[in-house]
Amino acid sequence: MNRTLVLSALLLPAVGLSQAAVIEISGANFRPMPLAVASPAAQDPKAAAQSGEFDQALLYDFTACGLFQVLDRKSFLADTKEGVTASSINFASWSNVGAEALVKAQLASDGESIRGDLRLFTVATGREDLKTSESAPADQVRRLAHRLANAVYKHLTRETGPFESHLAWVKKTSQGKDVYRSDWDGRGATLLASGGFNVLPALAPDGASAAFTSFRRGKPEIFLHRGGSSTPVVHAGRMATGVAFSPDGRRIAYSQADGESAQIWVAQVDGSNPRQVTNTPFFINSSPTWSPDGRRLAFVSNRGGSPQLYLQSADGSGEAKRLTFQGNYNQTPDWSPRADLIAFTARDERNAFDLFTVNVETGKVNRLTQDQGNNEEPSFSPNGRLIVFTSTRNGWPQLFVMMFDGNNQSPLPMERGSHTTPDWGP
Amino acid sequence: MGMSGGKGPSSRVTMSEINVTPLVDVMLVLLIIFMVTAPLIQQGVKVNLPEAKAAPVQSEEKKLVLSVDRYKRVFIGDAEVALAELEEKLKTNAKAQTDKEVYLHADRDLPYGIVVEVMAATQRAGIDNVGMITDPFTSLKRAKANK
Repeated sequence: MNRTLVLSALLLPAVGLSQAAVIEISGANFRPMPLAVASPAAQDPKAAAQSGEFDQALLYDFTACGLFQVLDRKSFLADTKEGVTASSINFASWSNVGAEALVKAQLASDGESIRGDLRLFTVATGREDLKTSESAPADQVRRLAHRLANAVYKHLTRETGPFESHLAWVKKTSQGKDVYRSDWDGRGATLLASGGFNVLPALAPDGASAAFTSFRRGKPEIFLHRGGSSTPVVHAGRMATGVAFSPDGRRIAYSQADGESAQIWVAQVDGSNPRQVTNTPFFINSSPTWSPDGRRLAFVSNRGGSPQLYLQSADGSGEAKRLTFQGNYNQTPDWSPRADLIAFTARDERNAFDLFTVNVETGKVNRLTQDQGNNEEPSFSPNGRLIVFTSTRNGWPQLFVMMFDGNNQSPLPMERGSHTTPDWGP
Repeated sequence: MGMSGGKGPSSRVTMSEINVTPLVDVMLVLLIIFMVTAPLIQQGVKVNLPEAKAAPVQSEEKKLVLSVDRYKRVFIGDAEVALAELEEKLKTNAKAQTDKEVYLHADRDLPYGIVVEVMAATQRAGIDNVGMITDPFTSLKRAKANK
């Protein structure tokens, strides 16, 4: 499968096609599309008061998703009072700042809800490619921006954008560790679990429930958070950790320790009907992640002497297949929803942790991060185009996002704090 | 490129002329200047171009055009910008920074100083290639008339 995104240029003349060019998945020709995002126009004072927040969210979405080269507004030449319709736009002034596409948005608010109209233009032809309107409650102007950005993403790629998806992550506090769920940019966080140590969260495919590992009753156990409350679902063994939802959301995989060894188990979401997947006495198997078809698991095992990634069918049948052969410390695998890649953390020869992907079929390893602190705990976006991870490059644990090939790395716009172990879900 | 300095016995005499060597050095060493003929460039801003017999540079792509009209107003394309803002406008301009080349379209009657200021701002913005747009037809006509 081709793994690089390519913008087929909007400049190309449409050959008998009325549809706009599509940002396609292709070879090494990927070039971010130069995109000008005009400052949003507000049609009333209430909308004007929120346009800054809207603008920030919209710019972040376009910048962080990696498809665009969002142009610096300081270079803009167009009249700031320029209209939003094709006939009122001087496209030469946008072409002169290097823009291939232009986004214009305007906001209107009645106090209860806020409406945003967004138009996308091809600068070379002056054609309006997309006109879309969305509404949101007045206090959710960022969500409005994410929806409109998703419409642009969908229009240009024919894929569902990541901007309305969610993350779960852990925040370190003075008392312990709390689990939060937030928007894809780390904003709008809600507390899922607090009190003691709550770690290793996973978002369920239904988008509403989550699971995590908690020490609140002493030993590590797996809790399910659903409908506003958390209940323990796996409390067997010496400890149970590292839960992952199957793609259909009906099963969970986790690691359960008994004695000196730990094995991978699969159970129903409520913890019933547990079945052992791995059976390697004396060895540790942990951090399971599901293949998108739900038939296989990738996990970490030290059965070969050092922690390496292995694949095994989720029902435990057959032999485990070793996937990584480089390095001596590979951990925290996450299987791409596009099926071809598994991202993982590896300790390199200088004892730094960095992110890599391994192709499930060919075993080809690709390095994503280097010489930028420790980079750990990758998790793919639901569309498989982006990876969220933890990085210490700025001196403290911080959530970052990048493209699946390691390009376009940027921190999430969150308040400063110790944020780790992100999991990306719907 | 050395200028003729005072050599020999006269070297102790005070020089009364301005030493333009540093200026010329800066402009010519750091900027690559070439001539572009006007018919290649269609611009909204009207300027009287200098005439020059220069081999036209064929340009396949549309480059960013800076214009300075006879009133010393500076334009990027057809948008007027203050001379003080020109450097930042060019530094942040993705097109200019990708091409590393702009065309300068300045009125023939302008003082040399303003043209140099525009070129210096361009160069400070990291753009090393400046195409000087000239008018080949007038100069051709004049060349014929002289014969």
